Order: sequence, then C-alpha cells, then structure tokens
Amino acid sequence: MINNTQRFKFLLVGAGIAFSGLVCAQVPNAQTIHETGQQYKEGNPLTGAADNLAIGSQAMFEANLKTKKNIVDMKPNTFLSLWNNPGFAVQFEKFLSAPAETSEDANLYRQRIDKIMDLLSPGNATKANQDEAFNLLPLASEFESDANNCTTIHDAVYAAANGKVEIQRLTDVDQELNKSLETAQYNYVQSAKSLSLSSEVISKIEQANNDKNAAEVRAAVLDPSKNDVASLKATIQRNQQQIASTELQSKFALQSLILQLFVQRRYQHVIIIDRFYRALFDDGDQSLEGFQQMADKLGYNKAAGQVKLIANANPTGALAAGGGNNTGSGAGASAGTGSNGPSASVGNNNYDTTGGDATALSGSGLNLGIENLSMESMENAFTTGMRGASRTFKSLSQLDAFANEIIRDVNEGVKVYRFLLDKNELESASSQLAAVFTKGEYLPSVRLLSVDEKRKTLEYAQLCNRLVNAANSGNIDVLSDVVDAMKKMNPSFDDAEIQAKLQGVKTASTLLVAQAKVAAAKGDLQSVQTQITRAAALWPNNPEVTSFSSEMGKMSEEASPQVKALADFDQLYAQGNFRQIFDDKEKYIAAISQSPERQDKLRAVLSRMQEIETSIMRAQEIARRGDYAGAWEGLQTTFLHYPDDLKLTQLRAEYSTQSPDFVRNINTAKDDEEKKEFGSALAWYLKAQSVYPMSDLSKEGIARVVKELLPDAS
Amino acid sequence: MSRKKKSKGLPPWLMGLLLLLVGAGVYYLLTTNASEASLRTVEVLNPDLYYENANSLRGNTYKMDVTIDSSLGNSPSKGRLFSVVLKNDDKSAVPVKVPVLIPLPLGNLTIQKGQHYLMKVKVVDNGMLQAEEAFKP
Repeated sequence: MINNTQRFKFLLVGAGIAFSGLVCAQVPNAQTIHETGQQYKEGNPLTGAADNLAIGSQAMFEANLKTKKNIVDMKPNTFLSLWNNPGFAVQFEKFLSAPAETSEDANLYRQRIDKIMDLLSPGNATKANQDEAFNLLPLASEFESDANNCTTIHDAVYAAANGKVEIQRLTDVDQELNKSLETAQYNYVQSAKSLSLSSEVISKIEQANNDKNAAEVRAAVLDPSKNDVASLKATIQRNQQQIASTELQSKFALQSLILQLFVQRRYQHVIIIDRFYRALFDDGDQSLEGFQQMADKLGYNKAAGQVKLIANANPTGALAAGGGNNTGSGAGASAGTGSNGPSASVGNNNYDTTGGDATALSGSGLNLGIENLSMESMENAFTTGMRGASRTFKSLSQLDAFANEIIRDVNEGVKVYRFLLDKNELESASSQLAAVFTKGEYLPSVRLLSVDEKRKTLEYAQLCNRLVNAANSGNIDVLSDVVDAMKKMNPSFDDAEIQAKLQGVKTASTLLVAQAKVAAAKGDLQSVQTQITRAAALWPNNPEVTSFSSEMGKMSEEASPQVKALADFDQLYAQGNFRQIFDDKEKYIAAISQSPERQDKLRAVLSRMQEIETSIMRAQEIARRGDYAGAWEGLQTTFLHYPDDLKLTQLRAEYSTQSPDFVRNINTAKDDEEKKEFGSALAWYLKAQSVYPMSDLSKEGIARVVKELLPDAS
Repeated sequence: MSRKKKSKGLPPWLMGLLLLLVGAGVYYLLTTNASEASLRTVEVLNPDLYYENANSLRGNTYKMDVTIDSSLGNSPSKGRLFSVVLKNDDKSAVPVKVPVLIPLPLGNLTIQKGQHYLMKVKVVDNGMLQAEEAFKP
C-alpha cells in the first residue's frame, strides 16, 4: 500500500525525470541556450529589478510561511512565544543568568519573612506576636529583594490602626452624646409639663390674647430644650457617618494593597497583610465589593494595549497559546486563534478581549500568563490585573487561599523542573521553569535556583530564539543547522515535521531550477529569471542555483568572444597584467573598438608596452655584441619607469649576471647618493665608468653628484 | 842606521770608500726633493678599502701616486675637482679612478690631464678625498 509520502516521492521523481527529459530534448538547440545565457549574463531586458525583487519576496514569503507555520505548530512553541515577548525575554534571561540568592543578606531576609508569617499564623496571632511581626516589617524591608514592600505594609497597617483608634474615640464621644441627649429630652418634657393654663372663662377677644401669650411663653420655655435635643442628634449622626467613613477607608486601603501585592506576585506579602487585616477588622469573610467598584474606575489606555496577567479560579491544569476573541462569563482562562488575531484572557463573569499574542500557562490550582509587555501597557496591565483580581476574588479568604496555593504550586514546579532537568528533558523543563518564573518570580524556591541549574534552560532558550530568527530569515540552511543543534541538545525534540518541511522547500527550489533550465532551452529568458529568482529565494545556498548560474555564465562566454574579450580585458587591466593584453592585442583591439570607454585604457597599455618592447629589443641587440653592461643599462632606464613588467624584469636580471661589477658599481653609487654620501657615490660612479666608459648612468650620476658637491661649480 | 819612514793619513782604500759614500749622498740629495721626503712616512691609499667603506677612513691621511684623468668641476669657493687614476704596475687591470678635491690653498698648482702627481690626501665628509699636498715627482 502506498501512503501519501511515497506517492509524493513518486510524483517528485516523475517530475524530475520529465524535466530532465525536456532539458535533454532541448540540448541540441545549443544556439538558443547560448543566446539565453548571453542575455542572462548581460541582464534581463524583460524583467525589471523591482519585478525580480517582488518575485524573490513572494518566494521568501512562501518559504517563511511554511517554516514559520511549522515552528508555530511545534511543541515548544509555548516556550518560544514566551521567549519572543521582548519584555518577558529580558526578565527571564536576567533571571536565568542571575546567581542564586544564597547570600547572608538573602538568607536573613527569608528568615525574617518566615518569622513574620509564623507570628501571624492563625494559631500564633496573639496581640504580642502581632506587635512583634509589625515591628519586624521595617527590618525585613531593609533588603533589596523586598523592594520596600514590607515598609508599605507597615505604613498601611499603621494607618489602618490609627483609623481604628479614631473610630473608637468617636464611638466613645457618641456614647456621651447619647447620655446628654436623654437628659435634654427629659428636660424638654418636664418644661412642657410645667406650663399652667388659665381656667377662667373670659371673652373671645381676651381668649385670643391669652392663647397668643401662652404660645409665646411655651416657646420661650421649650425652645432651649428642643434645640439641645436637635443639636445632639445631629452631632451623633455626623459622628456615626464619620465612623463608617473611616472604617471603610481603612479597609479599602488595606484591600487595595493586598490586591496590588497579589498582582505583583508578592504572595508572601499578600498573606502577611491579609493576616494583619484580619487582626484589625473582625468583619467575617471580608468582602472585596468596595474595591471592585474602585478598580472599575481605574484609567485604561486603549491605544497602548495591555499586558495581561492571566489567572484562573477554576484550575484545569491546561496549557494554551494562541489568540482570538473571547467573550464569556464565569471564571476562566482561555487562548486561541480567532478572526481578530491571537488572544488570551482571564476573568470572572463578563469579560471580552480581542487581539494580541497570548499565552496561558497552567499550574496546579490556577493559570497565569502575560502578554504584550511594554511601559505603557504596564499601566494598563495593572488596571486590568486589579480589575481581574477584584472580579476573580470575592473575599480576602479566597485571596489568601490562592496565595498559599501558588506558593505550594511554585515550590512543586521547581521540584519538577529539577527532575526534568535531571532526565535531560529540556523542552518540558524549560516550559516548567518559564511557568514557575511567571507565577512566582519572587518566591524563595525560585530565587534559590543556582546558575548551573538555570544555565541549560538559558542555552535552550537561546537556541529556541535562534530557531525563530532563522525561520524569520528564510534561510533554509541556517534553519537546518539550528534544528540540528536543538536536536543535539535536546534529543527529545521532535524535528521530524520541520525537517520534512525543510526538505520540501529544498525540493521545490531544485524543481524551480529545473524549470529554469527548461526555459533556458526554449530561450524563454523571462521564465529563466523568474524561476531562478524564486529558486534562490526559497533556498539561497542551493547548489543547483549556483551551478546553473555558473553554467549560464560559461555559455555566455562561449556564445560571444567579444563579451569574453571585454571581460578578460577588464580583469587583466584590473590585475595590471598589461603584457597579457599586449600579447593578445589583436583580440582586444577588435573587441574594444565597440567599447569607447575602454579605448583610452587600451591605448595607454599599448604605448607602455611598445616602449618596453623597444627597450628590450635594443638591449638584446647590444647584448648580441657582447656589451652586457650596455644592455643592462638600457633596460635599467626602462625598468625604473615600468618595474612591474615580468619580461623586462627577467631580462634585466639576466644581464645583471653578465656584468656584475658594473651593476654593483652603479647600484652602490645610487645607494650612496641616496644616503647623501656624495664622495663615495662619486667614487663608485667613476669606478663604474672605468668598467663601462660609455655608461650614460655613470655620466649622469657623476654630473648629479658633482652638482651636489660643488653647487657653484662652473 | 836609518829608521823606516812612518806612514801618514788614511789608507787609500778607506779614502776611496769614503769618497764613494759622500758621492752617493750627494746624488740622493740631488735626486730627492724635500716634499717627497715629507710623504715618506705617510700610508699609501688602499683603493679597495676606500671603496668598501670610505666613512670608516674619515679623517685619515694617505698618499697617492696618480695620473690626472679629467676635471670634474671648478668651484670658486671650494676648489677644483678632478678624477685621477691610481698608478698601477699591472697595465692590463681596470684603471682605478677616484675623485680628488684640490682646495683653494693649492690653487697655484697647474693641473692638466695626463700629469703625474704625488698627493697627500685626507678623507673628509661624504667620503671625499681632499688634497693637502700635491707635487710632481
């Protein structure tokens, strides 16, 4: 039975045979190939550079799409997506490179935090222990790793305690006021009773006057008492309002801080302040409703997007990455790909998110994740985190339980990480460490991981990063190398699919080269250029592409001797090999007659070589007479102008061995002259002249040196 | 009895010897002038040594037996420059030419090509030979 892969291979082989057949069938038409090669070499007149760029970009895009999709589908993508978040990557890399916090200070800090938590634990939270824990807070805050959170807790608890004192004072005042009110009310009643009314029968006019007088008397008697009662009632009511306000304010401040620390992932601090809260406010299962109202009023910058802290109150143990629209109700975390891009979200009741890369990591008990980390989005993240937390947690008891659960979960995660690392399962270990870091960066178990324990994950993370960069670059060879390296480092890395995709891209590139060859045989330059550009874009280092270009270049040279001659001339001229140009001057004269920009160069070369050749011929003639000194002297003059001509140099060397004394005399004279030893130089020139009286070099040298010795000589 | 006459003066053979010696001395004095006598103790210039490293000979004084080859230049401030050929008994050898500066104090000398001179020269700056004395032998 033939599966899909085998069928594809058969098709591939068949296509290859078909292309080869087409190429072979077209080979006899060598002239067409030559012409195509010629055009290819000189540049495509049909396809502009911009078109080629577009073709290349399209091909690269296709290649990228394939490889990138493959990488996105890879198992370690969860880890990769975290790593590719710049904000997270920086923090995570810093964590991976940081030494374990085993210093004396760090140990002391942990001891103090543990002591505070122990003093405030439910069984130990006596008034004395609470006071001791309260006094330990500023001491714990002395350490850098605390980031002054303990001082903040200390101040908040102090403010809340002051609020409670104020409440007590107002309550005491109210009790006094209530007593005064009772007295005032009694006095008021007694005053009313003391008023006597006339019983005599009088006329109607008198009756009216009496009633008026009686009313004035009643008012005069009762009003003071009545005013006292009203005033006391108002004061008591105002105090009661102030009591309620102060208590609400104190609670609200502490609740805000608790949730803020939770969002900051300072879970030990959450537990500490939560226990102080319980000690200060004995109001049962403390509701966070007031805080939720405040969180809804926090500012949010829609343009900046948001960093999301993803928390799940309904743990499922899942791990998810992706994006899309999420709308729903009830607590939960989700991730997926939708019409508006990737997204991950968390919330309680109604929530709605759209867009952005996202990742949600699950731990036992809850899920946490981050996305889109930036300075602006951090503010939004805080707002979102506070809102999310306020909706997720209905009471402080829930929050306290969660903090404890996270601490336990992180501690367990660290153990799991060590176990996976020991088993060399880097992929799972790295994901585990990323999850642990995300959830409990500041917890002792995480801070105590040594550099050696984290180092492998750092290397693996860097390799993952290289994998993504290689995929983005579209360079198949680099990508293959990185995949091989990942496989080597992490044997459990499943590279089968990506290797298959890479092979597919390579095959496609080779097929495109074959198509280019077919097009070349047909003389279809447009197709040649298109196919070869696409092939190179898919696989830049494809040896088929290189050999094709080389073959086309050769064909071009064979097709046009003139083009080859021009290319040779340029190359030889650049190398300074003028003799080779001179030796083949007929070829270059013919070729350059159609290339005005090279004619001046050729003319200069020929003039130079003419001079050299004349000098050589003259020297050879002199040498034939046995006058080697004269022959050498003739060449020496030309050599000083053209020291790079090989033939001239060789002949000069040959003649110098034939007249060594004269050559030595001249050279020594020249050296002394350059050293301004003019007396010696003159002696050597005279000596040279003695050896070869006809020497022009000696004669000229003597004249020069005498001029130096006797500047005013006649 | 007569006594044998006692001989007087030097014996004739001794007289003849003395006359011979006096004659040789007079001849030497007549054939050797005072200048030539002054070069008797001066070192002869070794041309090979001079060519190889004239600087190392700087400040030294030598004597040369030369024939004037040609005039190279005439400076009113420094004197006349000649090329001279060192006397060599080997007539087949390449003539050894050296430059000699005849300074202004010796300007009264009449120097022409082919003249034979004995010279006392000093190696000065730049390896130049400068005549201090020159006379015809």
